[in-house]
Amino acid sequence: MKSLPSRRGAMTAGVAAALSLALAACGGGSGGGATSAPAASAEPSKSAAVQDALSKPAELTFWTWVTGIEKTVARFQAKYPNIKINVVNAGQSADQYTKLQTAIKAGSGAPDVAQIEYFALPQFALSKQVVNLSEYGAAALKDKFAASAWNQVAVNGGVYGIPQDTGPMAMFYRKDIFDKLKLEPPKTWAEFTEAAKKIKADNPDNFITSIDPGDAGGVDSLIWQAGGKPFKTSGDSNVSVTLDSDPGVKQWVGTFNTLLSEKLVDPQPGWTDEWWKAMDAGKYAVWMTGAWAPNGIMNSIPKTKGKWAVAPMPQYDAAKPMNAENGGSSVAVIPQSKNIPAAVAFAEWLNSDPEAVKSLNEEAGLFPATKVLLDDPAFRDASVEFFGGQKINQVLSDASAAVAPGWQYLPFQVYANSIFKDTVGQAIDGGGDLAAALKTWQDRITTFGTEQGFTLSNGG
Amino acid sequence: MTAPARAGLARPFLRLRVAGYAFFLPFFVVFLVAVVAPLAYAIYLSFFQERMIGGTVFAGLANYTRAIGDALFGAGLARVALFLVVQVPIMLLLALGCALAIDSGRLRWPSLFRITIFMPYAVPAVVAALMWGYMYGDQFGLVGQIGDALGVTAPDPLSHSWMLTSIANMVTWEYVGYNMIILYAALRAIPEELYEAAEMDGAGAIRIAWSIKLPALRPALIVATVFSVIGSFQLFNEPNILQKIAPAVITTSYTPNMYAYNLAFNGQQINYSAAVAVVLGLVTVVVAYVVQIITARREKTL
Repeated sequence: MKSLPSRRGAMTAGVAAALSLALAACGGGSGGGATSAPAASAEPSKSAAVQDALSKPAELTFWTWVTGIEKTVARFQAKYPNIKINVVNAGQSADQYTKLQTAIKAGSGAPDVAQIEYFALPQFALSKQVVNLSEYGAAALKDKFAASAWNQVAVNGGVYGIPQDTGPMAMFYRKDIFDKLKLEPPKTWAEFTEAAKKIKADNPDNFITSIDPGDAGGVDSLIWQAGGKPFKTSGDSNVSVTLDSDPGVKQWVGTFNTLLSEKLVDPQPGWTDEWWKAMDAGKYAVWMTGAWAPNGIMNSIPKTKGKWAVAPMPQYDAAKPMNAENGGSSVAVIPQSKNIPAAVAFAEWLNSDPEAVKSLNEEAGLFPATKVLLDDPAFRDASVEFFGGQKINQVLSDASAAVAPGWQYLPFQVYANSIFKDTVGQAIDGGGDLAAALKTWQDRITTFGTEQGFTLSNGG
Repeated sequence: MTAPARAGLARPFLRLRVAGYAFFLPFFVVFLVAVVAPLAYAIYLSFFQERMIGGTVFAGLANYTRAIGDALFGAGLARVALFLVVQVPIMLLLALGCALAIDSGRLRWPSLFRITIFMPYAVPAVVAALMWGYMYGDQFGLVGQIGDALGVTAPDPLSHSWMLTSIANMVTWEYVGYNMIILYAALRAIPEELYEAAEMDGAGAIRIAWSIKLPALRPALIVATVFSVIGSFQLFNEPNILQKIAPAVITTSYTPNMYAYNLAFNGQQINYSAAVAVVLGLVTVVVAYVVQIITARREKTL
């Protein structure tokens, strides 16, 4: 929740069910200087050092909580036997960030390379707790990645991580339930609300979907998907928070105030045993989440095989489709590393080498951030049996291309997300007014940011 | 003449003193490193303010004045105080009953009884989280299933109105055995002769329990009460476990300890968090001391 740490990490492998309780808030993606291309101030000597590093002996520690990533790392070791990688699971999301920040402050004990979710990256970048990879020539990799992924590591004119996986949002739905009620997957939020009413009318215990009162990342993504941009950072210390006035936020509030007050969606924390049982039982017909979800569904509720399908997110304006990211991580290099060139070389290989990204997708269950896979016909056209043979990657790759640019996370999003449950979560759970709750969230974020020395504004 | 005599006296004395320190030192070093140093460091930290922009500045007592006026902190304190007033007496009465039952010698398998009651104390938090998460589920969990079987809508143990009761239930389950062991050990220390004398005077089992066992238990009960008071103020694990399944009910400031934890580790407000922790520590000391004085005074009057 937690911390809900990136659900993405959670969904992999059979541990998902056992871990489900331990999961707290899920992370969204993070973004910084968004659209602007990072100033490629690569220093030639440093870039050359990265090239050379792969042939020299080195030992690197890599903190990650992605299940199954050891297999990808093993491929690296087979190719570059000089470099020894120690993979360490130091906890998930906020738990790991706590340890990482402590080790960085202490001056020793931090890894060379670490997984950091997009939503947390600006925080690490701003406090110089991760290496600006553009100095090492990483900006050259830009064209290998989906724009939605690259925008989230390009913070304040630098490059602070290599994108590892993404979570473009999609609507996973129970085809059996939709067919039974003769419903089509809703294309707009208006249709979504209508479908929700029909599902409720059919059985008052069922809902079209659930919404997690503890998951800031999920709501951030829904606001992003409505075209919202409530968080903006300019320079090092100017932050604007417009949760009370942003037009995208208002769109989301309009739709979800109705859905919640008419009890058409169920305010239930996700990823708990109770929630998976509800998913298994068909209590929820839809799960709107990141493209990493299929693995979680297959592993946690295998009995629902063949009942699922995926469709694009419902739209506010069908003529101007917009999407968002939910979750996803980058791999960053920690300045404490004794061998930064080797660490950079490893992070680059792990997330951009064709063999590596294929392994990350197939062996670790990550949804790709790289064009090499997203545009690969073999990837796009694969029929997935669990989804009744649907070519789900076509829908998900297109969802990635439709992500609205310009979203940014706060340089203290980890804290902002942690107090989401104290504010907006209360309204989600208790049926209060979302707009008022978002204002409370904004006020607490503003107070915190000001205390931390930022210049906060709530306009424009 | 006098000098050797003096030396003769001094040597064993000195040796004794050295031996005393030698025994004391290992504990003292660990105590200094593990308790005093972190405490001193926390107090030191509480006088500063570190910012993400602008670095660290000396803050004087600003963190303390803020903590004292902090509504979130105050609400958390009030919540654990209510918890203490209700849960601690229930738990200690149950523990007392169990200890007396084992000591009565009338149970069939006393050691099995003892182990079973004590066992929850040894259950790891992760296992407890899974277990209670299942039991408290009002739809697919045990509570929901019981409700279905009886054809009624069971109350949701994870709702606002029931949460504190649910946590009290978990804490009681966990610590009755622990307190029972403290009380049972005190009962075992009562000399046999007292019982024999009481029997000769014609006292029955209940009279013995009332007039001999209970007075003898008083010091152990005071210890158990003080521990429980401290435990209540430090409440963290159980609500933290339930936060994942009831995020809207258990806020980040649900208990003072959770508040301090979130400030420090999600908010990077280590200095303010230290001040909150110090204030919480002082409140705990004062309340524990007051409880001790009240119970001790009552003992004197009896």
